[in-house]
Amino acid sequence: MTETQTAAAPPPLMRDAFIDRLTEAAGQHDDILFISADFGAKALDRFRQDRAGQFLHAGISEQNMVDLAAGLALSGKRVFLYAMAPFLTLRCLEQIKATLAAMRLPVSLLGVGVGLGYDHATLTHFAIEDLACLRAMNGMEVLTAADAPSAVAMADLCLASPALRYVRLDRQGLTALAPPLEKAADLAPGLRQISDGGGIAVLTCGALCHAALEAAAQLGGEGQPPKVIDLYRIKPLSAPALLEALQGCRAIVTVEEQLLDGGFGSAVAETLLDAGAMLPMRRLGLRDGFVVENGHRDRLWRNFGIDAQAIAQAVREMAPASA
Amino acid sequence: MSAESSLPINDLKERAAWLRRRVFEMVMQHREGHVPSSFSMAEILTLLYYGGVARLRRGAPDWPDRDRILVSKGHAAHALYPILADLDYFDSAELERFTQPGSFLGMYADNRVPGIEGISGSLGHGLGMGAGFALSARMEGRDFRTFVVLGDGECYEGSVWESAMFAAHHGLDNLVAIVDRNALCILGRTEDLVRLGSLADKWRSFGWAVEEVDGHDLAALRAAMDRIGSTDGLPLAIVANTVKGKGVSFMEGRAEWHNRMPSPEQEAQARQELGLAGASGHD
Repeated sequence: MTETQTAAAPPPLMRDAFIDRLTEAAGQHDDILFISADFGAKALDRFRQDRAGQFLHAGISEQNMVDLAAGLALSGKRVFLYAMAPFLTLRCLEQIKATLAAMRLPVSLLGVGVGLGYDHATLTHFAIEDLACLRAMNGMEVLTAADAPSAVAMADLCLASPALRYVRLDRQGLTALAPPLEKAADLAPGLRQISDGGGIAVLTCGALCHAALEAAAQLGGEGQPPKVIDLYRIKPLSAPALLEALQGCRAIVTVEEQLLDGGFGSAVAETLLDAGAMLPMRRLGLRDGFVVENGHRDRLWRNFGIDAQAIAQAVREMAPASA
Repeated sequence: MSAESSLPINDLKERAAWLRRRVFEMVMQHREGHVPSSFSMAEILTLLYYGGVARLRRGAPDWPDRDRILVSKGHAAHALYPILADLDYFDSAELERFTQPGSFLGMYADNRVPGIEGISGSLGHGLGMGAGFALSARMEGRDFRTFVVLGDGECYEGSVWESAMFAAHHGLDNLVAIVDRNALCILGRTEDLVRLGSLADKWRSFGWAVEEVDGHDLAALRAAMDRIGSTDGLPLAIVANTVKGKGVSFMEGRAEWHNRMPSPEQEAQARQELGLAGASGHD
């Protein structure tokens, strides 16, 4: 995570970028409502001040927040729900299933602190099952932002194409990746290639895009750069877009800040399998039975084998198999 | 408003008896459904729909200013189907296809059914959704009201109380919760399983105006409903003490009938007690 700390001006937080875009839209559209379960942001302070009538505090009551959103959405409101990712998702999974998903209501779920973002808070605050759980919801779209511009693009998408959608934001500010995602239309493919290479593809999303780029830089120095793909839309996962992105690749490594069961790598494997295009594949992530030690996120990444070194090593190990 | 929207009490009693008959016939046709949970709230639903309480328009389930009614105890929401058909929201012939392939009338109600405002089935969602309706009415300056019928067993769900607190804080006096206090769950009496105690006290302590009435006494229910709009800005909870299975003697107050189907002899007895012509059959 060093790249996020060396810049003179820290990159903007995704939550601020997302909410600022909403604040701008809320001024023109009274039907936009923002509901927080006691979770804040600097941009939210501005929203609450400028658009007081369009903000609600649900109480630290995520279940109420979701049911309330269902009633408001059925009444024609465009509702954004906001909380720490672990509580927005698993705390009220039944509400999401039984009201939002069952009635296919176009509510936006905005979760902050995905993966191991709340590193010091440890297990209760880790959102490491949210991908598996939310992608299991009928009709749910799942997006992960890797930088502030992509968070803005996702806000733009929620405004332009209302749908039941879970937007995953990192707790930290992360440097902007290229090519940039800036508006709704940019998100159409569901993925972007953020580093050119061949032979092996590294697929990831969110903060780990930055670790994958670091690994790619190392491997590039060794003359074997992998292709790095930010697969920011895990559901629906576009098989044609994935196959096109993987052209020329003989093996893949997936990296996730999730329990492997049902998570990111699972989604990739399922898509390739269903498309009859399975490739040799290695999944990096948290394994069942994992044990947490206290420490910063970079230490957690190292311990769980998902940091840049682990990614580079996995690519090296895959290379002979795919040669 | 529907033509029968403000019937006198005696006619309402006949309406409640009609509703029980129609629900029983609907359930017995394919032997699917929850009779006792429907029967405990027959007077509650009758008063809401025919007693001049809810503002509705015959044949217009999407009328924007209609009052919203949610039956949050979803296992019995199918008790609404005969009423919704009677209001010309859909063809009453559909009632004969209840739970059958291709019918939109499922055991659990969802908002594909004209007149069903929100899905129900799993418990504890209706009050939150109702608060959403009530809040949107407030925001848009509309004067429709929202009625949520909850089971007392449903009040075990923590989400009910999250939403109760929220509604009270926002002074949603356009929201009415009616608790069908039939005192039974699937496995027995609530007070024996996990004590609910005084639900009236609980709702009051959460900041609601509370009325506690005999839920089969239409005049008492109507008097309680008369408090809507005069609660000093508080949402209104009506704890309606009822008998699960009311109207069929051998089901009344007996937990085991929650989803049991009667034998031919029992069905004949039930039909007789409900005033249905013929001893049995699927007429």
